[in-house]
Amino acid sequence: MQPAIFERVVVKNSPVYQYMKVSLVLEHVQTKLTAVELKHLITTGLKSLYGEVGAAFPFDLLTFEEDTLTAVLRVYSRGLVRLWSSLTLLGFFQQQRCAFRVLQVSPYLLSLTGNSRDLTLD
Amino acid sequence: MSLFMDLNLSWTTDKRRLQTLLETAAHLGFSTVAINYTYEAPSKGKKEIPKPTPVSQLVEQLPIVQRHNAAEYKAYDLLAVQPTTEKLFHAACMTFDVDIICITVTERLPFFFKRAPVNGARERGVMFEVCYAAAIRDSTMRRYTLTNATSLVERCAGKNVLISSGTDKPLELRGPYDISNLAQLFGMSDVDAKDGVSSNGRSVLLHADTVSMATDGPPAAKKLKTAATAAPSGL
Repeated sequence: MQPAIFERVVVKNSPVYQYMKVSLVLEHVQTKLTAVELKHLITTGLKSLYGEVGAAFPFDLLTFEEDTLTAVLRVYSRGLVRLWSSLTLLGFFQQQRCAFRVLQVSPYLLSLTGNSRDLTLD
Repeated sequence: MSLFMDLNLSWTTDKRRLQTLLETAAHLGFSTVAINYTYEAPSKGKKEIPKPTPVSQLVEQLPIVQRHNAAEYKAYDLLAVQPTTEKLFHAACMTFDVDIICITVTERLPFFFKRAPVNGARERGVMFEVCYAAAIRDSTMRRYTLTNATSLVERCAGKNVLISSGTDKPLELRGPYDISNLAQLFGMSDVDAKDGVSSNGRSVLLHADTVSMATDGPPAAKKLKTAATAAPSGL
């Protein structure tokens, strides 16, 4: 049998975007939340930590699963530390405790897909 | 590779909540946690130091480094103080037989960190601890946490700083990578920030272990007792 051939690829320039896979944990599990509300929550958190100017960097909510409250965020690499720290320090959503669990951070969107642990077999 | 540690989970009488807290910490990727019993020493007289619940009653089967030292602290693995005045801070850094010095994060810093005691503590292997849970709870506290942590990090150049939670609620816990990202806000480099949740915790455990082994006897017992009475609002 032929051994598998590996190719090593080195990317030298710094990545433009970073992608974050986050899930929101709420105190009351039955609370429903839309994508717009989630984005608003994150923006409010950013503003309360960094103010108007500090929060003025673009980030996008790419996907949002309402049943698991899991989202994929895209942010310019420069804004990663700011976005991440504001997610860390977010503690309340509509007077109830909440916490963002950062599941994965990567410069490649591909690596956030196809997690073998999420596979459901028919 | 070093493991992730959170050396300040507040103890609660509610045993079930404590267990959920431990489970959340384990789920987030922490391999070592310390449960903190807070004790405020009165300025006069003596108050009995609370007895820790044996770990075997909290969780079944857990390997643990035991610390045998002075009578009151014999049952504890780690000893931390939270100094409230500059004199006490100096004494805690230079002479007290403790492992961790806790930094106030819920109010304005009552004193400035001076270079001499901070360097003294670094040489003795005593760590400074910053708790982040207050910063999640309230925006005023967040300001104090950021200010106090930044001034500490500036003094000790990001070394010898532990970042721990200091909470008893599972939803106020954050993952180790979140915390090391947060520590970058305090002015720590990314390497120091990662050390703050991993290898610095290990150094504290080893420090506590060494102290208990080296000074297992009456001299250490005497020294520790004076330390306890000299800190009116220690630990």
